[in-house]
Amino acid sequence: MVSMTRELLSLMGIDNERLALEWVSSAEGARFAEIVTSFTNKIKQLGKSSLGVAA
Amino acid sequence: MNIEEAVKTYQTYYCLDCGVCTGSCPVSRILPSFSPRLIVEKALLDLGDELLKDPELWSCLTCSRCFERCPAKINFPEFMRCLREEATRRGTKPVYSHHGMLQTIMELQTRGIHQKKTEWAKEAGKVAASGDTFFFVGCMPYFDVIFRDLGVDSLTVSRNVIKILNAAGIEPVVSDEEACCGHDMLWNGKPEIFKKLAEKNLDVIRQAGAKRVIFNCPEGYYTFRHHYPEFFGELGLEIIHFYDFVQDMIKQGALQLSNGTGAVTYHDPCRLGRMAKIYEGPRHILQTLADGHFHEMERNRENAVCCGTSGWANCSSGSKQIQVERLKEAKHTGAQTLVTACPKCTIHLSCALNNMDMDLQIKDLTTLIAESMD
Repeated sequence: MVSMTRELLSLMGIDNERLALEWVSSAEGARFAEIVTSFTNKIKQLGKSSLGVAA
Repeated sequence: MNIEEAVKTYQTYYCLDCGVCTGSCPVSRILPSFSPRLIVEKALLDLGDELLKDPELWSCLTCSRCFERCPAKINFPEFMRCLREEATRRGTKPVYSHHGMLQTIMELQTRGIHQKKTEWAKEAGKVAASGDTFFFVGCMPYFDVIFRDLGVDSLTVSRNVIKILNAAGIEPVVSDEEACCGHDMLWNGKPEIFKKLAEKNLDVIRQAGAKRVIFNCPEGYYTFRHHYPEFFGELGLEIIHFYDFVQDMIKQGALQLSNGTGAVTYHDPCRLGRMAKIYEGPRHILQTLADGHFHEMERNRENAVCCGTSGWANCSSGSKQIQVERLKEAKHTGAQTLVTACPKCTIHLSCALNNMDMDLQIKDLTTLIAESMD
């Protein structure tokens, strides 16, 4: 499902790196923190998207 | 437009209360609680609040079968469109199909994104960045992804349009900046988003220097023909449906088609048939292709039935019932192939067919033409 959504994002000219889907169980607190931190850093690096800038 | 203005604009006070609309309505047959006649009556009786809160407002397929038969010539679909605008303003909305994904894509296109959706076109044939003829592709690149599981392969149709245009010596403009035509937003009760999308499209087409715009999708064609001038006045563009163009090519001998498609039947899309009044063109082409094996369904031309859902909203078990009946009707003609001329009809009918044990193929007319090219 997420691969399809990423394809749609590409068609819309939105960097599909901005979307991720990961499965983390409730027993994997450290992994959850790691994923969220790395994804947040990635988004910060990518900067503002073209969205939200009204046409 | 509030209800009173809608009543005046569409002169629903001429209603004779004859009930032909409800008798003709494919939805009323399945959901007896839905009645165009009662909706008109409630609007006249000043029961507006009740009407605008009624979820049935979104059950209408806007297929125009009622308007086709109304002796008082009341344009119920357009009246319905106005009621939906007002209902939306008051905060009610339809049940979006596919989790509202398609509406999201449409609305995002008014938010400053720059789409990248024409790669396929460069692979399909010769296309240009500017020129006389603009090919309005519509939502096909998105449908191609979203409905891949159904096996409908939407972009094949667009690729074939380019192939046929190239065969006629035309290198059409296709643009990444082309937005959704706005059809669904308009019928979903969101005219302000429709306007933004339409303005963007007119800009893109004019900037490309195009004088004529070719449509394969009936919704885009009808919306440009009917609603764009209503909102923006004379467009100064020639709006052409692809099948009219193909017919001219056949007449001029520029397109040679072989026959041998086997037995086929044809499903009239609402926007192409009852709304744009294009009934015979596709049939002429089909008669050439099928060489005497073209069979009409019982309900054809102005009596055709809708593919069961419209505007990506309120897809229900009733929609499925309409689709199943239509497919049985197609099969009953003895046809092996049900030919459609609208990407959404293809999607909706394929969705129903995938869950049925029926030996029938669904094919877009454009693809059938491309496959018959010599």
